[in-house]
Amino acid sequence: MDIRHRNNVTITGPAGAPAVVLAHGFGCDQNMWRLVAPVLARRYRVVLFDYVGSGRSDLSAWSAERYSSLEGYAQDVVEVCEELELDRATLVGHSVSAMTGALAARRAPERIGALVMVTPSPRYIDDDGYRGGFSAEDIDELLASLDSNYLGWSAAMAPVIMGNPDRPELGRELTNSFCATDPDIARVFARATFLGDSREDLRHVTVPTLVLECDQDAIAPREVGAYVHAAIPSSRLVTLGATGHCPQLSAPEATTEAILGFLGSRR
Amino acid sequence: MMCRTGQDQGPEPSGKENEPAATDAEFSALLEDSAEELYESAPCGYLSTLMDGTVAKINNTLLDWIGLEREAVVGRKRFADLLSVGGKLYHETHFAPLLRMQGELRGIALELRTRGGGRLPVLVSSAVKQSSEGEPLLIRTTVFDASDRRAYEAELLRRQQEAEKARAEAEAARAEAETARLQAEADRARLADAFTVLQKSLLPDALPAVPGLEAAAYYHTASPDRLGGDFYDLFPVAGDRWAFFLGDVSGKGPQAAAVTSLTRYTLRAAALHDPEPATALRTLNTVLHERYAGGGDPRYCTAIFGVLGPGPEGGITVRLASGGHTPALILRSGGRAEYLPTPGGLLVGILPTAPFVTAETVLAPGDTMLLYTDGLTEARTGDARDSLYGEDALLDFAAEHAPSSPHTTVAALTTLLEGLGDGVNDDTALLALGVPADDPAHRTPPPDGAP
Amino acid sequence: MSPLKITRQDRAAGPVLHVTGELDYDQAAALREETERLPLRPGQCLVIDLAGLEFCDSTGITALLAARQHAQAAGAEVALAAVPANTLRILTLVGLHQVFTLLPDAGADTGAGGGTGGDAGTA
Repeated sequence: MDIRHRNNVTITGPAGAPAVVLAHGFGCDQNMWRLVAPVLARRYRVVLFDYVGSGRSDLSAWSAERYSSLEGYAQDVVEVCEELELDRATLVGHSVSAMTGALAARRAPERIGALVMVTPSPRYIDDDGYRGGFSAEDIDELLASLDSNYLGWSAAMAPVIMGNPDRPELGRELTNSFCATDPDIARVFARATFLGDSREDLRHVTVPTLVLECDQDAIAPREVGAYVHAAIPSSRLVTLGATGHCPQLSAPEATTEAILGFLGSRR
Repeated sequence: MMCRTGQDQGPEPSGKENEPAATDAEFSALLEDSAEELYESAPCGYLSTLMDGTVAKINNTLLDWIGLEREAVVGRKRFADLLSVGGKLYHETHFAPLLRMQGELRGIALELRTRGGGRLPVLVSSAVKQSSEGEPLLIRTTVFDASDRRAYEAELLRRQQEAEKARAEAEAARAEAETARLQAEADRARLADAFTVLQKSLLPDALPAVPGLEAAAYYHTASPDRLGGDFYDLFPVAGDRWAFFLGDVSGKGPQAAAVTSLTRYTLRAAALHDPEPATALRTLNTVLHERYAGGGDPRYCTAIFGVLGPGPEGGITVRLASGGHTPALILRSGGRAEYLPTPGGLLVGILPTAPFVTAETVLAPGDTMLLYTDGLTEARTGDARDSLYGEDALLDFAAEHAPSSPHTTVAALTTLLEGLGDGVNDDTALLALGVPADDPAHRTPPPDGAP
Repeated sequence: MSPLKITRQDRAAGPVLHVTGELDYDQAAALREETERLPLRPGQCLVIDLAGLEFCDSTGITALLAARQHAQAAGAEVALAAVPANTLRILTLVGLHQVFTLLPDAGADTGAGGGTGGDAGTA
């Protein structure tokens, strides 16, 4: 099995520099990191990849059985790290990938030496005394949205996504598809993401961890960030003055700065 | 120009002076009072937000759809707050990242939360407005009511899911049928294996080498699915004597095979006790009759049982008894062929005590005795129901071939059976026993095995 | 091939089965079923009239033997009437000419016991 091909692994940055693995969350693919990765790559070996089922991964390697729990995604992370023979790399995981990172770090401590959790949430659904922000019915609504948008796209009424003339790196070849996933695969990923409960897994995190949250996040509110920070004794919490669930897009400079600060403290 | 005003033209002649003014007034009424009026009352929703999604401007149409006052929205809510929770999740995980990366997005299906907790399906298009320096300033969004289209899409989706379900069910049924077919094939193969093993147990693996005797045998299976009921054997009895038998059990299949097995081992056991041919058949008769008479399902067999002993001038004495079996055929060294008649011998197993007829002959060097079952003589040679190969044809065939060693004889008959093809609709067993001719030229190699 | 047809006639001395057609592997079972259904009393004689028999192989012979077993179990006799030459040859070959009572023909109904039977149906 060619892991590099399977997970569409791309590597930038100086050879021999400490490795930083950037893991995308539910919804899109490694392009989520496009504003952050080039800056990190000046001083670090930056590894980007797509989970099987996302982006330009090998869809033939996907199975509902493996990818219906976060363990399957963590296995992807571990296999990429093994393939590249990484030595205590820093894993930057966005959203659900923060939890995937916690699982992977526990499985392969010699490969993953630190975690950055970008807008993490260990549990999206409200639970006895715990506020995650959503109900199971909300997740069903999301699935319906996935279905209806897939229909719209497949009916050739897809969003015509324009290249940004001032950001030539946002090339047209990358448009239209990188947030579009086979609805069957997206459904499985959505369930694994939003119906899972990773709160227990946080207690097993022992590596240095940076928790990055946004001031205003409709998906992972600040109380969830505080929960994650409290659950991981070895963690530091940084609140970005940013809005939304994707600070690497909405506040790329601040996000990069926070990550670099954390990386620098480890050297 | 699209329209003219009265001022340009000056007053019209009297009598018509009101007409142009009235026309202009009506036409003006058709025009928007202002761009602002168009914005507020357009048949679609307009929305402008800051880059963080905070609503900066919203038109009346959209406010009306969501059932909120302007003051409650502008500066207080983000676009995502206007969406259903599922739509908000989709917005945060797909819509916002795409818009950030690509600057524009069209026709995304979302749902607005309406007054009273309802949902309004909408299609949303957004574009990022940038400053002259290229910095993103705000997001302009257009919202279309898509209730009808979404109902249509939902119907499409439902149909698609139904079709997918039907396809999956068909696939499952096909897979199930395939599994059943493979299972049936495996079962059939196992059954065929079992049949082969069972059939082998009814026949000797190989004919033994008997000093001064050449022996050849052949078994033709008419149907691979139906166990045949023909049997034969050649084995030593007391002293330097050997016994042989060949026969045919009534019926087909497992029950017939059970009778065949019982018959074979009864005859072998009986011969060890007393090799007198009629005695062996009587023992078999008693066993079969006790076992099968009165059950409403008669089971019986025809059989020839014989013993071989030393004969005069290098020959072999044959003493045999028949129970309802077709007579043995002898191919003499001189070129003649003759039956060794055993008339009056009864089927074995029909009556408590049955008459069996004994006959005796000497096989001189070069002579061959052929035992056969009625698969050969009852093989069909024509379309008519009763055009069978028959005993006369067999006698002619033998006369043509005599003299002939056992192996040569069996080989010739095998060829004959192959020529009859489907006409041979019953199993056929052949057993040929002979004394090698004195002339080494006529001598064939010692028997070394079964067919 | 000719379909097997069996007609039953009840006489005082016992039932008569008129068999026409072919008694082979495919059709002999019909004769066996017919004879198994026959009510026979001790001392009666079942006559199987083979005048119309066109063909008989070993399964046909087995069916005749099954009829004989059934008759014997009921304390009755069995006789074969008007056996065609080729069938007689087979019966002789296997010694059964000594086992069955052979009649030149089915004879006529004496009418003594009254009651002529009807058709017993066909195979």
